[in-house]
Amino acid sequence: MVELYLNGRRYKVNAEEDTPLLWVIREHIGFTGTKFGCGKGICGACTVLVEENPTRSCITPVGSVKGKRIITIEGIPSDHPVKRAWIELDVPQCGYCQPGQIVEAYALLKKKPKASKEEIVSVMSSHLCRCGTYGRILKAIQRAQKLMEVKA
Amino acid sequence: MITRRDLLKLSGLGLGIALLPDGFMLVKASENPQIKPHLWASITKDNYLVLLINKSEMGQGVYTGLSMIVADELDFPWGRVIVKPAPAKDTYIDKKMGSQLTGGSTSIRNMYEFLRLLGASMKEMILESASREWKVPKEKLQAQMGYVSYTNKKASYGELWEKALKLPIPTKVRLKDPSEFLYIGKGVPRIDTEEKVEGKAIFGIDVRRKDMVYAVVERPPYFGAKPQSVDDSQARQMKDVLDVFTISSGVAVCAKTVEGALKGREKLRVAWTKSPLEGFDDERLSQYYLDMLKKKGVVARKDGDPILVLEKAKRKTSAVYLLPYLYHATMEPMACVVDVKEDRCIIYAPVQAQTWTLQTAKRITGLPEDKIEVYTTYLGGGFGRKSNVEFVKEALEISKRIKKPVKLIYTREDDVKSGWYRPMNATHLEGALDEKGRVIAIYHKIAVPAVFEWAGRPSQVDKAAVEGIENMFYEIPHVHVEFVKVDLPIPVWFWRSVGSTHNAFTLETFIDRLAKIGNRDPVELRLELLKNHERAQKVIQVAAEKAGWGKRPKHGDAMGLAYHYSFGSHVAQVAEVSLDKNSGQIRVHRVVCAIDIGPLVVHPNLLISQVESAVVMGLSAATKEKVSFSKNGPISLNFDTYPLLTMSEAPHVEVHIVRSEGPMGGVGEPALPPVAPAVANALLWGYGIQINNLPMTPESIRSLL
Repeated sequence: MVELYLNGRRYKVNAEEDTPLLWVIREHIGFTGTKFGCGKGICGACTVLVEENPTRSCITPVGSVKGKRIITIEGIPSDHPVKRAWIELDVPQCGYCQPGQIVEAYALLKKKPKASKEEIVSVMSSHLCRCGTYGRILKAIQRAQKLMEVKA
Repeated sequence: MITRRDLLKLSGLGLGIALLPDGFMLVKASENPQIKPHLWASITKDNYLVLLINKSEMGQGVYTGLSMIVADELDFPWGRVIVKPAPAKDTYIDKKMGSQLTGGSTSIRNMYEFLRLLGASMKEMILESASREWKVPKEKLQAQMGYVSYTNKKASYGELWEKALKLPIPTKVRLKDPSEFLYIGKGVPRIDTEEKVEGKAIFGIDVRRKDMVYAVVERPPYFGAKPQSVDDSQARQMKDVLDVFTISSGVAVCAKTVEGALKGREKLRVAWTKSPLEGFDDERLSQYYLDMLKKKGVVARKDGDPILVLEKAKRKTSAVYLLPYLYHATMEPMACVVDVKEDRCIIYAPVQAQTWTLQTAKRITGLPEDKIEVYTTYLGGGFGRKSNVEFVKEALEISKRIKKPVKLIYTREDDVKSGWYRPMNATHLEGALDEKGRVIAIYHKIAVPAVFEWAGRPSQVDKAAVEGIENMFYEIPHVHVEFVKVDLPIPVWFWRSVGSTHNAFTLETFIDRLAKIGNRDPVELRLELLKNHERAQKVIQVAAEKAGWGKRPKHGDAMGLAYHYSFGSHVAQVAEVSLDKNSGQIRVHRVVCAIDIGPLVVHPNLLISQVESAVVMGLSAATKEKVSFSKNGPISLNFDTYPLLTMSEAPHVEVHIVRSEGPMGGVGEPALPPVAPAVANALLWGYGIQINNLPMTPESIRSLL
């Protein structure tokens, strides 16, 4: 039995400690917004936040994050500038990689609200998108920066 | 996602379509037991338009593009449109394809007229209903944004819908004049964006059913091998594992959890029979294709006497190209949920091919069609791969055997090992110029597997093998096109833009080489070859002009152009490229694209998205992608060995829409073929490098310097 603190709620899950966090979030608990892409931490589709740090849940044993604060795509508020910018620019195509991209972008802007274009590209280049939405992702993050400025 | 309950709820309330020999006809579901409850459209009491869309949403925006056409003719607010995927039924067959299938960049082209008729007919019936109710002539009524009004009377479409359905279906309706369009030609926000941003969109891998179990399949290392012996004793002892058994494609491991199935599979010991491909590593495959190129094939086209002309010509050149197997790399690996019961079968799958899924389910379960329900989820990428439904077949076999709902998941490695690649191919090109530098002869011969034959449509000359060459618009007096079929048991399939992926590369790079030996500007040479093809000329001119052809590149050091016609659309692209000669690393800074899909672009922003997408995918393949093989099978099994283009490598994509008269063309694929040859042509003019092999990795470029 593993206890998880996910999107502000506590869950008790009957899973082995070495089970990848990804499968616990998706299949045991049922937050399917976090995606399986490669199982090796390469593509970024499974990215969640563990204590605000973007983490590849497909290679993170659930036992290593017991009691830590985990946030998935479903835990980011709908009115957050990153989500709003994504909608405004119609970023997603197939949409499968987007939760991971959004979680990464959310964490980046939280840490570095004024991240430069180069910093954004460098961080986001660790995420794959087969539909090639990279240009729009970049624009959406820059748009989110503007929305955050207005708010602040 | 639609369920049986949704369908029942809609039944009797909606407008359906009967498929008659001479086309579609609108019918009322309530009066036609044959089509009940399968409908295309209805309006709820609280005024939501519910549409069942017969095409798969895989990122191309088809739910948006198709439903906005109905909403436009109907005069309905976009914010109140709800899209449900149509289940697999004859009713929803795309008549122009003869199948419920999404592919070939045809969705809007094939459905446009019908969906306009649907929307216009609905509106007509609603107006007639209000006219009778209020005793006011129809001409005096106003239908606007989901409401009918007359002086101080006002009713929503939803309030009028039930009565409207009791009226006869109009035999003639007036379609809008383009000047009256609300959405068509302008665009609307994508209907699927919010769900996708919130992580709530349901893909094949996200479906959950009560009492569902998980399955993974251990596959042979190389195609064609079968399990000889299976030692599952350890696997069966693993926690959560329920069963292990052999299916047609390998050995299935079923468990209560995904992790249980995966761990169980690790403990599986399978001895495989020898694959007929054993020994076919990269080197041997290359040699095999080059040898096949020396064999006699089938002539697909012959104009004049190209062989004689080439023999006599003074100015000529030739090349042999070798292009690799490519993997689709949909971000969502194959996954689906299937429940086979004694008397019923339910399938939730991210497929592009509902009809083929239904046929497969009939074959595996033995159930009649009306006991099989196929529901299409969102597709986490398709690119042609998900029109192959072998993965659903596996899930059907497993569920039938274990008698439970099953979620089948492919790992990334399974996905690569399952095959269905863009075929490898070898091409021999020869070309000659006359004394004025005009192209007078082209000899083209390709050795390639027959994709259409793999898809069950064999022919003497495989359509995919020669598309884009056999039907090229270049006017050359002497042309030879020949196809040699490669018959290796490596499964191949449609890969975004299919045969044009390789034929555009070989032809377009070769045209530039001819331009070079003839001291011709490649743009000017193309315009000469296309002098009777205004649409083709126009996209080349626009791309060249917008990119600043003939001037120093704005970004990078070299510029290359390519043009290609595919799926009914003309596309020209200019790539701005630079090369680091020490590392061999190329960088594509900007791609300027001109595209002509005809007189009407239903949703310009979706077109732009598709061009951006096609350019990135085409460039990814051109610079990074190749399925590599050892003697024992494919070895590029994940993104570490099969890398994709990332944000830092993605060019700025500039799209220019060119309008012209003519039939409507496709959007999803046509912008992919030109990017690879445009980049290669930039390397030819900027650095004198000739690219005969893809991908253009730093190592391969270095070897050419």
